[in-house]
Amino acid sequence: MSTTTNPVTLKELKAADPRWCTGCGDYTILVGLRRFMVQRQIDPVNTVNVSGIGCSGRLPHYMNTYGIHSVHGRAIPVALGLALGRPELKLFISSGDGDALSIGGNHLIHGIHKNFNCVFVLFDNQIYGLTKNQTSPTTKKGLVTMTQPQGSPLSPINPVQFALGLGATFVASTAEWMGQHFLDTLDVAYQHPGFSFVHVAQRCPKFNPSAWNHEDSRWISFLEHDNGVPADRKAAPDATVVAHDPSDMAKAFEHANGLTTSFGLFYCQERPRYDTLTLDATEKAVKKDKGSLLDSFAI
Amino acid sequence: MMTRDQFRFDLIMDAGNGAQKAGDILIKGFANQGLYVYIEPMIPAEISPPKRTKYSMSGVTIRVATGELTNIGSLSELMLVEQEILLDRRLDDEEYEPGGTVILDMGDQKRSPATYDQAMARARAAGLKVLPLSIPDEAQQTIRELNGNGKNMVYLGVFTAIFNITLTDMNAFVSQVFKKLPADKLAKNLTLVQSGYDLAQADFSELFLSIPANPDDREKILMDGNTALAMGIVDSGIKLYSGYPITPASSIMHTLAKSFPAYGGIVHQAEDEIAAIGTAIGSYFGGVPAITATSGPGLSLKQEFIGLAMVSEIPCIVIDVQRGGPSTGLPTRTEQSDLFAAAFGTHGDATKVVLSVSSVEDCFYAPHIARYLTEKLRVPVLILSDYLTSVSYKVFEKLNLNVMENISDILPEILERFYIEALPESIEMVKTNQSIPGEVGRLRRVTGLNTDIEGTVAYTSQTNQRAHQVRNEKLHHVRRALKTPEFFGPSEGDLLVVAWGSSRGVLKEAIDTCHREGVSVSGMHLKMVYPLPLMLKELFSRFKRVVTIETVYGDSLKHTPFSTLLRSETLLDVKAVLSNATGRPLKPSQVVNTIKELSHVHNN
Repeated sequence: MSTTTNPVTLKELKAADPRWCTGCGDYTILVGLRRFMVQRQIDPVNTVNVSGIGCSGRLPHYMNTYGIHSVHGRAIPVALGLALGRPELKLFISSGDGDALSIGGNHLIHGIHKNFNCVFVLFDNQIYGLTKNQTSPTTKKGLVTMTQPQGSPLSPINPVQFALGLGATFVASTAEWMGQHFLDTLDVAYQHPGFSFVHVAQRCPKFNPSAWNHEDSRWISFLEHDNGVPADRKAAPDATVVAHDPSDMAKAFEHANGLTTSFGLFYCQERPRYDTLTLDATEKAVKKDKGSLLDSFAI
Repeated sequence: MMTRDQFRFDLIMDAGNGAQKAGDILIKGFANQGLYVYIEPMIPAEISPPKRTKYSMSGVTIRVATGELTNIGSLSELMLVEQEILLDRRLDDEEYEPGGTVILDMGDQKRSPATYDQAMARARAAGLKVLPLSIPDEAQQTIRELNGNGKNMVYLGVFTAIFNITLTDMNAFVSQVFKKLPADKLAKNLTLVQSGYDLAQADFSELFLSIPANPDDREKILMDGNTALAMGIVDSGIKLYSGYPITPASSIMHTLAKSFPAYGGIVHQAEDEIAAIGTAIGSYFGGVPAITATSGPGLSLKQEFIGLAMVSEIPCIVIDVQRGGPSTGLPTRTEQSDLFAAAFGTHGDATKVVLSVSSVEDCFYAPHIARYLTEKLRVPVLILSDYLTSVSYKVFEKLNLNVMENISDILPEILERFYIEALPESIEMVKTNQSIPGEVGRLRRVTGLNTDIEGTVAYTSQTNQRAHQVRNEKLHHVRRALKTPEFFGPSEGDLLVVAWGSSRGVLKEAIDTCHREGVSVSGMHLKMVYPLPLMLKELFSRFKRVVTIETVYGDSLKHTPFSTLLRSETLLDVKAVLSNATGRPLKPSQVVNTIKELSHVHNN
């Protein structure tokens, strides 16, 4: 049982038994998130995991915190309601490439624009998993899917470029199979006040095993900086390491071009947050007595 | 001078020329005399349609009376119209009393003498007397100095004289409304009012009218339906309003944006209709009461989230200010056509609690009762208002404040107003644990997936059947708590006329008229429209015939939504006898005529 005084442990963060496929990267994300909460000693009682629909949407069920598994694509507005109503809560949003970039694209635009405080984790397996193998916005050109048996006709959206383009105040990319990098990325994201966009390369052995080559690391380059996320040489020994200052937006765009091959902190910049601005406006308003509510309508 | 206990008239101008502003000031004059007013603006759906076109018709219909008014009435006896195209357009609505009068501003006659002649001939053929109005040259000059603005002030002066309001009083109201205007501009406006007043003294004295007032000491307020909803939201203890702009619901958000922070509330403008309800649900999951408001198209968009709130047992309140439908329909006209979308709209058999408002006063208390029901039942509650109620202003006795913090504080008079008893103390939920984030030892996850009593995802046949049973039992609690609805007239007889929502005022006035004229008929009005009270069949059975009147389409092969619902609930042959989807409210005179025809047929 959770209390606010006992230390947070991995065991107590376990809830329902996960029902993902064998080898699914979502397991690694789940365990990584639990590890992170233990590492930071984040109180589950004041934590809410919010999700939409899809394989990623199931994560809240498996985390022994508070949680809402909401509707497809729309975790962001639900999380915003919590951010405005209960600003002290820690909010983690789990979303997928279809959930975030397709059906929920509008909310992602505005979540990023509003820059309210949460950690937004995009599980990118480049495919619709739960509905069984349909093209997603990040599916590579040419991949044969149930809905596009001739191969996906378009080049994919690059989620990092998408977030940067929308003016996100925090944009990072990591991969679930790079355990330490994943933890370090979450940690920087958690500390950022605002909407922290975390892209996670995620394996889907069932429907899209070619999405990410996790057995080889020569295609990977880490973006490294003192204010960023350290390269994970253990998880990706053959990766190249590139110095990148996360305050340099132009360079961030260069690294985000084309298919995702760079991991690390692309961009980080503090900016005013919609949640605090909105709450401050109410806080600072000259207060009136509810007993005089109708007086100005008197005739 | 004529003396009347009630009178209805129109002021019609091109959109953007200030007809509503003049109307707003004029009703202050009436209210100040102790008269009751009911005012319905006519607003085009567009922002500023080209002037001197029929699309540009904008204005107000005002009904003023000695006693309290429940509706806008049937026909206007006087119209003041800015130019001939608008007269022609307004005649299309057939809302004038034959024998009534049109005052037509002849200012544009030189531009288009033929259409002037045509419109005046049409008005005369319709039995209306046409009196020409010519704004004097000096006033014309002042209007030019005001960049073409100010005709509305001349017309205001005309009405000031006709209705026997003193210029001193009117000048005070004009000065109050235009308190931000520079002194010289204000002075020019006052000159224009004077000019209209003098003009009427000279030319229109035959129209002068006295409506006696019965002044009393009771405090009165002047308010429209959407403002009342906004103020009700504040008084009901709701803390967050989350909405997206849509006609005619937007003004709720406008009012709250200005006033809610002063009472500690938050107003959030979402990126779309779906996000608006999502944020309200997120807030309520966090234990912070929240509300969203929309109109028809927005209600369609919100349906999936309404279903989530139902299944995950998160309280949820949605206001739907109905407008003409389907699709984009008639954004600035009234209709009662969202009943089924509200009660049954969500996929997968998730019937909600749907309550309607019959008046501006109901609007003020609707958020309280909705909050009471949704927090007790953890079932979404929909409040159905409509365009007519949202924009209609009226004068009424100052309402008692509730200053509700928790639903246990709800005033008994609010439950009575909605004809419902208090719900049982304890109500079974699908999930036993209903904790909110921050509660120690009661961590939980909610979902739109089916769950068992522990709240864990379950696909077994027993759990889904049980969840349906528990959810429906919540609605049964409402069915059992609903009291005999409001009756007008005897509780048995030949004919019962049933209405819901904003049709109450028209129904009541029609029944009163019939009784005065010796026609035997009863009326019934329902505020709670889903679920319905259990004794309805028994109540209906005491009448030989039960009919409905609704502002919605129906014909001999297609029953209206409300009559369909009543039929299915009672298995009685309830039919709509007035089912107009003209965008205009029902008229008391139509209802009286319909009742008389039915009584006649019956008596023969």
